[in-house]
Amino acid sequence: MTAAPDGAPQEHPSWLWRNPDPKPSYDVVIIGAGGHGLATAYYLAAEHGITNVAVVERGWLAGGNMARNTTIIRSNYLWDASAGIYEHSLKLWEGLAEALDYDILFSQRGVLNLAHTLQDVREGIRRVNANRLNGIDAEWLDPQQVADVCPIVDISPDTRYPVLGATYQPRGGIAKHDHVAWAFARAADAMGVDLVQNCEVTGIDVDRGRVAGLRTSRGPITAGKVALCAAGHSSVLAGMAGLRLPIQSHPLQALVSELLEPVHPCVVMSNAVHVYVSQAHKGELVMGAGVDAYISYAQRGSVHTIERQMSAALELFPIFARAHVLRTWAGIVDVSPDASPILGLTPVEHLYINCGWGTGGFKATPGAGSVYAHTIASDAPHPLNAPFSLERFTTGALVDEHGAAAVAH
Amino acid sequence: MTAVSARTGMTLRLEPQPGEVIDRNRPLEFTWNGQRFPAYHGDTIVSALAACGERIFSRSFKYHRPRGLLSASFLDPGCTVQVGDEPNVRGAHRRVEPGMVVSAQNVWPSLRYDVKSVNQVVGRFLTAGFYYKTFIKPQRLWPAYERVLRRFSSGGVVAKDSAHGYYDKRYAHPDVVVAGGGPAGMAAAVAAAEAGAAVLLVEEEYELGGHLRWGDAGQLEALRELRAAVAAAPGVEVMTNSVVNGRYDGNWLGIVQRNLPHVVERLVKARAKTLVVAPGLIERPYVFEGNDLPGVMLSTGVRRLVNLHAVKPGQRAVVLSANPEGDAAIDDLARAGVEVAKVVDGRRGPTIQRATGSRGVQAVECADGTVVDCDLLVTAVGWTAPTALLNMAGDRPVYSERAARFLPSLLPDDVLVAGGIAGDGPLEQLTEHARAVGREAAGRAAETARSLCAGIPQIAERRAGPPDPEPAVALPELPVEDHPALFFSGTRGFVDFSEDVTAKDLIAAAEEGYDSIELVKRYTTVTMGPSQGKLETVNAVAVLAAATGRTIAETGTTVWRPPYAPITLGALAGRIFEPVRHSPMQPWHEAAGATPLVAGAWIRPDSYGDPAGEVRAVRSGVGIIDVTPLGKFDLRGPDVPELLNQLYVNKWSRLDVGSVRYGVMCAEDGVVLDDGVTGRLAEDRYILTATSSGAATVQEWIESWLQTERPDWRIHVTPVTTAYASINVAGPRSRELLGRLVEDVDLANEAFPYMRVRVGRIAGVDGCFMWRIGFTGELSYELHVPASHGLRVWEALLERGADLGVRPFGVEAQRILRLEKGHFIVGQDTDGLTQAYGAGLGWAVKLDKPDFAGRTELVWQSRRDDYFRLVGLQPVDGSVVPPEASQIVLGRGIAGRITSSRMSPTLGRSICLGFVAPSLTGPGTQVTVRLPDGGEVAATVMPQHAHFDPEGTRQRG
Ligand SMILES: Cc1cc2nc3c(=O)[nH]c(=O)nc-3n(C[C@H](O)[C@H](O)[C@H](O)COP(=O)(O)OP(=O)(O)OC[C@H]3O[C@@H](n4cnc5c(N)ncnc54)[C@H](O)[C@@H]3O)c2cc1C
Repeated sequence: MTAAPDGAPQEHPSWLWRNPDPKPSYDVVIIGAGGHGLATAYYLAAEHGITNVAVVERGWLAGGNMARNTTIIRSNYLWDASAGIYEHSLKLWEGLAEALDYDILFSQRGVLNLAHTLQDVREGIRRVNANRLNGIDAEWLDPQQVADVCPIVDISPDTRYPVLGATYQPRGGIAKHDHVAWAFARAADAMGVDLVQNCEVTGIDVDRGRVAGLRTSRGPITAGKVALCAAGHSSVLAGMAGLRLPIQSHPLQALVSELLEPVHPCVVMSNAVHVYVSQAHKGELVMGAGVDAYISYAQRGSVHTIERQMSAALELFPIFARAHVLRTWAGIVDVSPDASPILGLTPVEHLYINCGWGTGGFKATPGAGSVYAHTIASDAPHPLNAPFSLERFTTGALVDEHGAAAVAH
Repeated sequence: MTAVSARTGMTLRLEPQPGEVIDRNRPLEFTWNGQRFPAYHGDTIVSALAACGERIFSRSFKYHRPRGLLSASFLDPGCTVQVGDEPNVRGAHRRVEPGMVVSAQNVWPSLRYDVKSVNQVVGRFLTAGFYYKTFIKPQRLWPAYERVLRRFSSGGVVAKDSAHGYYDKRYAHPDVVVAGGGPAGMAAAVAAAEAGAAVLLVEEEYELGGHLRWGDAGQLEALRELRAAVAAAPGVEVMTNSVVNGRYDGNWLGIVQRNLPHVVERLVKARAKTLVVAPGLIERPYVFEGNDLPGVMLSTGVRRLVNLHAVKPGQRAVVLSANPEGDAAIDDLARAGVEVAKVVDGRRGPTIQRATGSRGVQAVECADGTVVDCDLLVTAVGWTAPTALLNMAGDRPVYSERAARFLPSLLPDDVLVAGGIAGDGPLEQLTEHARAVGREAAGRAAETARSLCAGIPQIAERRAGPPDPEPAVALPELPVEDHPALFFSGTRGFVDFSEDVTAKDLIAAAEEGYDSIELVKRYTTVTMGPSQGKLETVNAVAVLAAATGRTIAETGTTVWRPPYAPITLGALAGRIFEPVRHSPMQPWHEAAGATPLVAGAWIRPDSYGDPAGEVRAVRSGVGIIDVTPLGKFDLRGPDVPELLNQLYVNKWSRLDVGSVRYGVMCAEDGVVLDDGVTGRLAEDRYILTATSSGAATVQEWIESWLQTERPDWRIHVTPVTTAYASINVAGPRSRELLGRLVEDVDLANEAFPYMRVRVGRIAGVDGCFMWRIGFTGELSYELHVPASHGLRVWEALLERGADLGVRPFGVEAQRILRLEKGHFIVGQDTDGLTQAYGAGLGWAVKLDKPDFAGRTELVWQSRRDDYFRLVGLQPVDGSVVPPEASQIVLGRGIAGRITSSRMSPTLGRSICLGFVAPSLTGPGTQVTVRLPDGGEVAATVMPQHAHFDPEGTRQRG
């Protein structure tokens, strides 16, 4: 597809992807057609020329967390390893619409992380200082500067959660999650990747320490390599191959309001009070909470989490008190002990794992996809994901991002 | 438009109707888009406007098409308006009030007139139909579109100065909640109450009655009887203008209540033993070209308008009727003086093709080719069952081909259905069935109550539990009547009015590969608008089914998500359950001019104006600080040492009565979680302290051990943080000062040495305990006095120590004092990766203990030495204080950071604590600190954390 001669916007493509039956055998089978699975398939085909690939999905395309997240994108994580992979991802975001030939509504409207206590302030400044040394556009803003960026935040000192400052990443923002998934899906399909929906993996066959194939609701599939991309269900799948993961699956809730005229120009997050808010292009406020504290695979959360989150949100944004909540929902997120992902090899040969993104893996979609594809293609981690090995939980070389990632997205 | 004056403006108001809800004796005025309009009490905003001849109430989301009345109910997609500072008010539901300021939303550029240029400007953005799909390339144009698109957003307005109202919540524990106050709901509620249940009857409209309200004389009579029965029934609480919004596990129901005076909304959290779902049926629109024109209405909408509000809906009508409700609408129209130009019977083959007109219906083209001029087209083509609450209860309703609607399938025991959602039949049969359901609901509720009581230890007869239920009788079956399957005509119209999604859009989506209903929903946003699919879901499924050659049952539906009806953020938020905390001495601090410091939940004195002077007072004489926020837990029971051994990395088995020990807590990943001292006050009584900011976490941590891991331990934990006011008395003359106030404790060094605790009487206050510890490095005593006497002891200390130069000191002085002494603060000098060894706490870790939290990780760490370490640091230039959180760099990489830094009044130079990379830990090593402004300073690694009195002689003196 090319741009229309006058540079005018162009019609949507008329065909997006096939809906094939699974073949008996593939070089690589990716489990889970969420953002990460689709991106991985795309990069395998586009950058490594591996196209005899299937992405098997038990439901409909990208109907898991990819369809449920609040689409915040940023890279201002604390540690060098995290800064590396998230910034790699952010750079890919910046060229993604062009690369995939599909608009993903990527809007770099800036992300604020508010600080409400002196502890938050120290932690925020530390992160800004570290980010800058890692080449990330991070700034520390005082309350007045926060109000300049986002005039509707209540910065008066007598609110329950006074704003003492904020970290700011101007290049951060949001994108349209569904479009991202469809863009990757369409591009992967065009290169020959089979996107197989309604195909649940029920078993992973391991033969003498090496992965051999899968059992699925649509029949067995033999596979040279198998790559897990099952987000909240990673432990279940890893269990099929005899692996125990240090992952806990929790519900994570979000909600949207009814449409409002544009009032909120950026993304505001507040770890301390477990709230983040942006306004989508269409006009709805998109808000999220912290995880529900219990472990669950049921895609629903409890109301009190939302209640708490709303009470904090209204302290920061009193003007939203009379806006209406239109819809709430939950996804199941895969939380790792150090709030960093697990991305790399497993003890089972040719079985690869990508999980543990918890509450914040949307922003990593292209970045994780590209390094995961590299890992699968070369059977060795890319330098950017080497620190995120599964072994770190036995060597103790953790990458703690609770400060940067706790609620966060 | 000119101002309309009261009364004469209501040109379409009919003569009094038997069931009308307006009060003609109470006229009122309100404004609509700046113009004054008359109305009667009982009118909705939109019925009042319609009575004055208004037909357009909004413009559609994407195409800015004029929209009018459709269903004349809460769900009406074209009637969303702004009321004052309240956005997205449902104008066909909300009752108008005197002086109400109402305006149209989404009116750019204007509600009334099409501005040709608008379409020229935006046409290229919108022609393709989908809101976003055109913007593929080139990417550089996107920001421009984004700006234009934002002009299009069609929401309400939240005003910047909106008041931050507080909303209360209510907790209810009814036996039975009935969702829906139509005839079935009322009958069920009455029957349940008569069977002994406490019933909460919740109705979305302002009045009970459902469809009976706009019915004929017989139905109105039935309505009167049912209302009387509800009023007479014992134990039925009625909540009108309220909605059961969500059903969660254990029949936990969120109800939004809007019928309270002076309260916008209240969230009622009800734990019902049984839920009866009786929401009736929602009339489904018909899909054909022009179906969104003002003047196209549902039969129920017309009947509401005529019978409840006495408004003439048009002059000349065409009616498409496929059911008795539609036939009744024909009678209503005739009575209202509307000429019924043609009736098309939907039960007999083809129906209508399209409606045409520019700003409203002007003609209808029927399937038989006739074209009828009219200004009103009424459709009655069938029903949607509002199964949202059933979905939330785990039910997956099944599609009935015969009835052309979804029916409940498998319900949990604590959810029952009544009325139209359950089946069909004449009124008598439906209410009879509902009564049986109500009795059954009461019976099941009693059953639940009994089993709950059985699980709770009973206190004699007083808690005998509810009476036995009636013997169970099977619920009667309701018939399901045939209904023609009418979803769309041969032309393509709007499926989703609020999202502006047409049948054509859905068909195109299917062709592009979005072949599952969920994908189509996400792609086209069909059913994602304000009514969440209550009007449009089944039509969307039907159109998609036809496009993909599947049946409706095969296509399935999307999942309904809570809330059932929109709820304000304010009502969900309620009040914050996080009060600001302060110590009993805070008023004194404020009076003394202390600078307040927000420290987590607490407000504390940062300083009394001169932190350096406060430091010197402590080092040279005596000072007192309010440390009430310190977390305090009273632990009792024989297994307390077990708990302490589990929580702390240190050993606890031998802590003598009267002794105090410092302990370090680690999380399971070996990361330092908290620290503090624990003292043994008596044989089986311990006080454990936690850091002020960590107190809540520590409490949860303790509880998780006791409740989930070791419920067998015999331990009682009482949080006593605010039960005691805590004061640290510090400085070389603290013993002298205390000696004047403490009555029954020997303060001599040998009698009360360092790290000991004593119970006694201070300043005449009994029940105090004090321990000799301190954060400042001086001789010091931490006093814990019953909170109500805190201020008295505080004042006594100042008064009796005046001649010793006693001064109060604040948190800032304490921070300096502890930094001079090299004491770290968990959370400031440590982070989420700091394991005990890295913080220099290896001495405390007793790996020979068989188990404690974090042990596994710490075993690994004890074998490594590649971790960053906490060290004392002094800038080479002692006049420079590198800000906290400055990074330490090695070449271009990060090699550590400054965690604490201050100018030391005692040493006259800057001092720091910081983390450094393993290669930089050697005493005397020079490190480079990168300042936030980009400059760099050199600092020297010190042999120990303490910059002052490293031997610790002063505190033992
Ligand atoms: C409410 C919420 C808000 C969030 N907000 C943000 C945010 O603002 N920013 C951000 O960066 N991240 C956010 N996240 C996190 C982000 O959504 C996830 O980290 C990310 O989407 C996970 O990767 P994925 O897209 O591949 O997952 P998914 O889309 O969940 O994909 C996993 C897929 O695996 C499939 N699957 C599972 N088991 C099987 C099986 N046995 N066989 C076949 N298929 C299977 C699932 O059906 C699913 O489609 C949020 C998450 C939630 C729930």
